[in-house]
Amino acid sequence: MRSDGSLTALMLFLPPAVLLFSLFVIWPIFTAVDLSFYKWNGYGDVTNFVGFDNYGILLKNSIFHQSLFNSFKLLLASIFLQIPLALVLALLLYRKTSANTAFRLIFFAPYILAEIATGLIWSFIFDGDYGVSAMVADKLGSEPFYILADKQWAFWTIITVVVWKYFGYHMMIFIAALQAVPTDLIEAAEIDGASPLKTIWYVKLPMILHAIKLSVLFAITGALQVFDIIIPLTNGGPSNSTHSIVSFLYTFGLARMNVGFGAAVGVVLFILCVGTAFSYKRLAIDKGGQL
Amino acid sequence: MKRYAVLAVLAVGMFASAPVLAETVKVLSIEPNVKEGRDFYASAIEKFEKANPDIKIQFDYLDDTSFKSKLPTLLQSSARPDIFYTWTGGVFHEQADAGVLKDISGEVDKKTLDTFAPGGIKALTYNDKLYGLPMYAGVVVLFYNKELTQKAGVDPTTIKTWDDFLAAVKTIKDAGITPIVVGGKSKWPLQHYYGYLATRIAGVDGIAAAKAGENDGLAGPDFVKAGEEFKKLADLQPFQPGFMDTDNSKAGGLFGDGRGAFILAGNYMIGAQKRNSTSGQGISDDKLGFIPFPVITGGKGDPADTFGGINGWLVSKNATPAASKFLASLMNLDNQTVSAGMDLWLPIVKGADAGIRNANVKAIANLLAAAPHHQLYLDQELGANVGAAMNDASAELATGDISPDEAAQMVEEAHQMH
Amino acid sequence: MKRSSLLSQLLRAAFLTFIAALVILPLLATFLGGFKTLGELRAAPFGFPSHWSFDVFIDILTGPVFWTYLRNSLVISLSAVVLTLLCASMAAYVFAQIRFFGSRYLQSYMLLGMMFPFATAIVPLFFQINRFGLLDNPLGIILPQTAFSMAFAVILLRSFFQQLPKELFEAAYVDGCGYVGFFFRFTLPLSTPILATVGTFVFVQSWNNYLLPLVVLNEQSLFTWPLGIMQFRGEFIVEWNRILAFVSLTILPALVFFTFTQKYIVAGLTRGSVKG
Repeated sequence: MRSDGSLTALMLFLPPAVLLFSLFVIWPIFTAVDLSFYKWNGYGDVTNFVGFDNYGILLKNSIFHQSLFNSFKLLLASIFLQIPLALVLALLLYRKTSANTAFRLIFFAPYILAEIATGLIWSFIFDGDYGVSAMVADKLGSEPFYILADKQWAFWTIITVVVWKYFGYHMMIFIAALQAVPTDLIEAAEIDGASPLKTIWYVKLPMILHAIKLSVLFAITGALQVFDIIIPLTNGGPSNSTHSIVSFLYTFGLARMNVGFGAAVGVVLFILCVGTAFSYKRLAIDKGGQL
Repeated sequence: MKRYAVLAVLAVGMFASAPVLAETVKVLSIEPNVKEGRDFYASAIEKFEKANPDIKIQFDYLDDTSFKSKLPTLLQSSARPDIFYTWTGGVFHEQADAGVLKDISGEVDKKTLDTFAPGGIKALTYNDKLYGLPMYAGVVVLFYNKELTQKAGVDPTTIKTWDDFLAAVKTIKDAGITPIVVGGKSKWPLQHYYGYLATRIAGVDGIAAAKAGENDGLAGPDFVKAGEEFKKLADLQPFQPGFMDTDNSKAGGLFGDGRGAFILAGNYMIGAQKRNSTSGQGISDDKLGFIPFPVITGGKGDPADTFGGINGWLVSKNATPAASKFLASLMNLDNQTVSAGMDLWLPIVKGADAGIRNANVKAIANLLAAAPHHQLYLDQELGANVGAAMNDASAELATGDISPDEAAQMVEEAHQMH
Repeated sequence: MKRSSLLSQLLRAAFLTFIAALVILPLLATFLGGFKTLGELRAAPFGFPSHWSFDVFIDILTGPVFWTYLRNSLVISLSAVVLTLLCASMAAYVFAQIRFFGSRYLQSYMLLGMMFPFATAIVPLFFQINRFGLLDNPLGIILPQTAFSMAFAVILLRSFFQQLPKELFEAAYVDGCGYVGFFFRFTLPLSTPILATVGTFVFVQSWNNYLLPLVVLNEQSLFTWPLGIMQFRGEFIVEWNRILAFVSLTILPALVFFTFTQKYIVAGLTRGSVKG
């Protein structure tokens, strides 16, 4: 035993977090794994063991394929639309002026908004009868368009809303990182006659690479978990074409009380998340230092 | 386990309110969403509590979607309500099978039972056990906007068969008017078409047989035929633009705003089209007409059969007799006459229809009274999972994404999976 | 610093204003919507109301339920924040300062929590909460909420603690202060920015959570505000102006909370997560 009290700290400080986490996160995951081998409608005892049947049905389900693809599209949009946008804004706003602070507040506001409220507000905006869509169509004198009812376009609205809601969050991470870049470095580059773009490319971006990597990790896990926004916005429609993995789980597992089936979806999602995140972490983060 | 107990005691000590002396009956209802509905419950409770000072009623509301998604787990927990709202049908049967309900046959006397229309009591009975009491019914009819049909030169009262209806839809469309408004985003309004057609073609007995798995179950020829007839309608593109992004409430508003000639909906639409319209006035009662759902020539269903809902209350296991006592009181003739006066619900207690004020509501109530059978909405009839598949199939038929064959298959697959 | 040309300044301002407009317009429509009648809301969703009707706001503010929802939401969110900060900072401190066998594995184990939305296992979670007798009890939300925020909180806090100068501890150690005492006397007071950051994120998540309160709470007197919003959406009617007014009123506390913590957030993130 060391005399600096490290053992005491260990015994005192770790258990609350680990215990809570195990009881309310890990334990339900294991229960979900167990449930995924049963057919169960949520009522009564869990007795109908079906082996891997739920997984078999899931892998054949075309709506599930679509929702996997949708989640993948969200992931790409998060990385290639949202993060660049957040980065540009962060570069424009990282200096401490009161105008910048005001802009920051505005851009961060959607993140504070509840997902469920966000979905409600935007479903109102995309409304082809009473919303912006209707107004724009009216101004142009064209037929109104119903973007949320269109299989081709409905998912783009979800991508738009997700980007709208979360870009401010990533922007904050980047601003924080930029403020930590030593100013003498930037000034040195400028004195050497580097153009603003070059300063960004050769000095600022490399200095905040860690923040970008972390942000991408958050974007990946976040994109795979999109749910509350979809339900009020499209409810997965039209023709079940706009589900994410989680809204698929909610609709086909929870709302229809196929609890075993839903648990199987959860397990697949979990494996996907852990797989993607850990391989990303190994590839991008561990090589360049710690998280 | 002991640690949890300690935790629980601590928790209760921190947050629970003071102990209650009277016995409390917990009721969970869906949000009636009209002020009159809440007022009705409040006054019925007040009267009951006055007459029974030893019983307290705790009446909680939850919106429709939340109610449905949390009920299964809730019923198996310690926090379950003693009485809860039900749409009857498949979900009710699943609950009864799971043993979370209480047989109240012994607690309700014959005199009380006799006050109800027999079909209502039947809907709350399963395997010869009575698990609750019915409160109101809903009947789906084809409402029409008299001004619009007149403008298009169509007299809906002459529509008797499905083919008549299809012809009328075509005429209205040719006149440049949207023939039908529907809340496709909610999916179940589209199922009204599919379900009503199946009721007309297969008959109530045919649907029961299909549910039991006979004649290829829900993929049988009658259901494929229902899909084909529905497709005939969908092929005319009769619905308002963007109908798949219109939920049922908005559809009611659009209809009330005169944006389409027909809407297929339950009797509640008489009020809903007013409340949801832009002006808040909607279509006035004299400009609003309705016809029964058209008949399919050669169909096995009785032309007078109706299709719609039966709603009521179920009692959960471990509830005390106070629960059924409250239900019986809620359903007494006085209360039910008051509730009929809201013109929202078709009463199931005999004689309560005297309270109905609106002429259209009264006419629909008569339709129900004269019907040999009242078919429950198919999504309710078939339970959560198959019912949802039925709604999906109806929606995809309407958008032309699947064929009638595929639609029937899709439902039957869910049926067999269960 | 070089002075940017006027043109690029203008472009910058135009771009920022454009993005800001995209963010603000929907929010403005929400706020204004509460002042309109249902009919006007449908006819002109974005314009200023032709007649400012305060009825809906007054209705909500004077009604009994709004303040109940608000109080419940506040109690739950603030408790979750306090509990998360306490548990997570203690654990993060151990991870950052003490080398022990299995530390890396335990950290990876905790990281799993970030991969796991509530919806995935809401049914098992429900039965777990029921087993502890915590249904219809704010603790039934606070404890799981804390557990689900733990991973994220530990990651941010650990990085921050790692950057606290080691010399500080050595000096304190000489003065006879152990790890436990050091944590309370030095680490926590020095960590205000990161605590504010993590606290804000936890607060926002808890404040907006819908699914968890939905399954845990049944009694209306215990409802949080997202449940309250859904209360307005009934079976046959949607009172949009009421919903929008309600949303406006409930964004306010989160916005106020954020305005106060925002300068710490940047500072906290700067030192917490993003320096290698």
